[in-house]
Amino acid sequence: MPALKRTLLLLLLSFYTCFAAGPFVWAAMLSLRTTTEIHRNHFALPIPAHWEKFPEAWFNSNYSVYFANSALIVVSAVLVLTLVGSMAAHCLARYRFRLNRIIYFILFSTIIFPPQITIISLFQILVQYGLYNSKIGLTLVYVAIQLPLTIYILESFFARIPSDLFDAARMDGYSDWEIFWRVSFPIALPAISTTVILNFILLWNEFLYAVVLITDESNRTLPLGIQRFIGDTQEDVGMIATGLMIAIIPVVVVYAFFSEKLIQGMTAGAVK
Amino acid sequence: MARDVATGAERSLREEALAKPWGTIIAFLLPALIIYVAFTAYPALRTLWNSFHKVLPRREEAVGLANYAELMQDEIFWRAVRNTITWACTSPLVEVSVALVLALALYAKVPGARFFRVAWFTPVLMSYVVVGILWLWIYNYDWGPVNVALRALGLGGLAMPWLGDPKTALPSLIFVTSWMWVGFNMVVLLAALHSLPREVIEAAELDNCGWGGKLVFVILPLIRPTLLNLIVLSFIGKMKIFDLVWITTKGNPLWATETVSTYVYKRAFEWTTFDLGYPSTIAAVWFVIVLCAVLTLTWVFRLREKLEY
Amino acid sequence: MAVVTLDRLTKIYDRAHLPAADAVSLEVQHGEFMVLLGPSGCGKTTTLRMVAGLESISSGTLSIDGRVVNQIPAKDRDIAMVFQSYALYPHMSVKDNLAFGLKRRSVERAEIERRVTNVADTLGLSGLLERKPHALSGGQRQRVALGRAIVRDPKVFLFDEPLSNLDAALRVSTRGELAKLHRRLGATMIYVTHDQVEAMTLGSRICIMNGGKVVQVGPPLEVYKRPANTFVAAFLGNPPMNLLPGRADGGSDGLAVKVGEITIQLPSARCAPLAAGSAITVGVRPENIAEGARNGGAFASVPAEIVQVEPLGAETILAARLPGIERDVMARVGADSELKVGARCNLSLDLSAVHLFDAAGDVLDHKP
Repeated sequence: MPALKRTLLLLLLSFYTCFAAGPFVWAAMLSLRTTTEIHRNHFALPIPAHWEKFPEAWFNSNYSVYFANSALIVVSAVLVLTLVGSMAAHCLARYRFRLNRIIYFILFSTIIFPPQITIISLFQILVQYGLYNSKIGLTLVYVAIQLPLTIYILESFFARIPSDLFDAARMDGYSDWEIFWRVSFPIALPAISTTVILNFILLWNEFLYAVVLITDESNRTLPLGIQRFIGDTQEDVGMIATGLMIAIIPVVVVYAFFSEKLIQGMTAGAVK
Repeated sequence: MARDVATGAERSLREEALAKPWGTIIAFLLPALIIYVAFTAYPALRTLWNSFHKVLPRREEAVGLANYAELMQDEIFWRAVRNTITWACTSPLVEVSVALVLALALYAKVPGARFFRVAWFTPVLMSYVVVGILWLWIYNYDWGPVNVALRALGLGGLAMPWLGDPKTALPSLIFVTSWMWVGFNMVVLLAALHSLPREVIEAAELDNCGWGGKLVFVILPLIRPTLLNLIVLSFIGKMKIFDLVWITTKGNPLWATETVSTYVYKRAFEWTTFDLGYPSTIAAVWFVIVLCAVLTLTWVFRLREKLEY
Repeated sequence: MAVVTLDRLTKIYDRAHLPAADAVSLEVQHGEFMVLLGPSGCGKTTTLRMVAGLESISSGTLSIDGRVVNQIPAKDRDIAMVFQSYALYPHMSVKDNLAFGLKRRSVERAEIERRVTNVADTLGLSGLLERKPHALSGGQRQRVALGRAIVRDPKVFLFDEPLSNLDAALRVSTRGELAKLHRRLGATMIYVTHDQVEAMTLGSRICIMNGGKVVQVGPPLEVYKRPANTFVAAFLGNPPMNLLPGRADGGSDGLAVKVGEITIQLPSARCAPLAAGSAITVGVRPENIAEGARNGGAFASVPAEIVQVEPLGAETILAARLPGIERDVMARVGADSELKVGARCNLSLDLSAVHLFDAAGDVLDHKP
């Protein structure tokens, strides 16, 4: 394509990149400056870079607690989701029985449900069973909300595995569970890792259910922690920025190593 | 004879396979179904049940359709519905069209396409909480980049409290979600573009189609299913929106950014009356509205018709 | 109708060591059916796409009717192409698929209507005009792809392995249709395939390519009877020509070749005396090997042990082991052959039809 057109296009695209990534770059800069420095000039470069703000936020502002809670809850939820989801997806994909499509449809259709239809009752239920304000309660809810999407993505993948493999396994004497564990699951590993990453990102960032079901400081997840932060320290822009960076960093790290997998995971099922 | 024995064994294997292994099926499905029933199906039904009651901390009182009647008159609710639906209708159009332009640009083999794709996808990964705070700062009247830039360009008259003015608050938030999701839509569209059969586009080239002709007559019709799918996904996502509003404006100023989800939350957990029945009613009605909207969209777009090639 | 001249066309892809097409020179005459034949990766499709304008030309000149078209975009070369995958527009009906190219060229509505109806009638598509491609069978789609090219009435038709996606029976009947079409339209056609049967039956001339280069060009029977090298010799013919490595034996008139443990005395009419000790490959086609001993004159009798018998009904293919020769020799004999596996017998090689290739694989010319 002619050189002029190409440079114009590149300029347009670079401009858009600044637009898309700009806010984060700005936040990164702010996170390394003290609030006084910031109020003098909001857009100066972080020189000197106050790296000590990070341990300060981590220890003094309870970030370690929030981070640990998020990590525990999300990792547990993702583990359970992977196991339970893949079992159900395998079953729906490979066995033919009359209720199969009905169950699949019911599970799939809940993706449209607005969370309000369940959240009020979930609040009541968790209170009733003493799971309110607990990590276990939130973990179970997280599994429930991501289950439909996980099953949807995995079912289509399991269905594509050639049935010859299963026939061969059956003739080799494998039991149904062994077939799932030794044949289906390993072969579907690419799709499973996709759902793992997708669920991780979505649950790491999840806010609504957390805000309703957790009020205890010691059980807060990271998004809640940040929100409290802005409530408490309205003007401490510097510290808030540092807190934001702490929240973003795990995601950025995963993205840096697995960008392709992540992009595929999050866009799975959207291409028709 | 050896041959008969083999057939016999095959036959019993096949019979075994054909006989529905109900025990296995149940074992595989049960955990998922239990979780689904306990945390999705049952709560949904209970919410519905709540909607016909006044649900107070220590007692419940059946009130029939009183909640529903009150809801019909509730101006805040209808304001919230209008806001949410406006959001759900405008956002997809902006997101998908900008994403299409960007995807076409990358499709045209611009150098650095891989870098751009990875960079533009980043906003999607961030929590709405992070995004909300960032944009609170960006829209800040005194020192936010938007107003600072306007003043620097001599357009100081246009600088305003974007999130504080009832007229600009909602559009400002819609702009934020578009900023977030354009990258997502772009990645999906780019994948769709790359999956187009190369030879069909070459045939169009031989049929006297330049860039414009190829776009209008071949590319757009063939990615239409993906485009429509993205519009529906975006629509559903915006109907559910909560996080962003809660962090930035909490529905202010004057209900200008109130969405159904924020209103439900407020009525359930922040109103001085601790009645959970009324918000359940809102949830039930909203559920029906969302369902109808999605079904209408799917029917209008006839998404089930898949283009085979 | 047009003359297409390829003058040292070369295509090198970025970061590739070897050119995909290397100095391909070819002249396709008015109304000729030129077949580009070769194994996969030989550059035939690349060459075709350069002619079409779908690949840029790295070096060399391409002319159509004397006009250099290197820089002219594909749509302006007055060329129509039938793709291997048919490349029909999936969202348009058959009628729209046929009419699309004409509409884009601002042809009058009445004219479009006329041409489309005509072509649809000729190809038997009249009942399918409202259908979409996904509702058509493979053979029907192929005819629509063909129709789309015919309707354009172009100077040159290009075909990229159009029959390879059809099943065997359909392939045979469509081959016949294509031949009839060429006779009727008398158009210049360039056809790419890896199937030698298609090449032999359809081409007025065949251009055999290998490794990006043109190996031999000529009418089918000539290329078959006088292959320029061992590659062409082995490529055409099924079963392929037997290539027996040997050495010139000197002998009284320098016409003896030792192949394995057999010495073949070539007739003096066959070729000039061979340098003693030089490596010679003797090529014999299976149909030029007969059962039984027949000596003297233009036949050489060789002892053989039969290792495989394939009775095909109309004829029988034998695989035989000759003393000192590693590879089995294939022979085509009559259906009434009674030879069995393990039998020892004599086979006669027709020396007037034998081919001689030097160490590099090139043919040693017949004596003038």
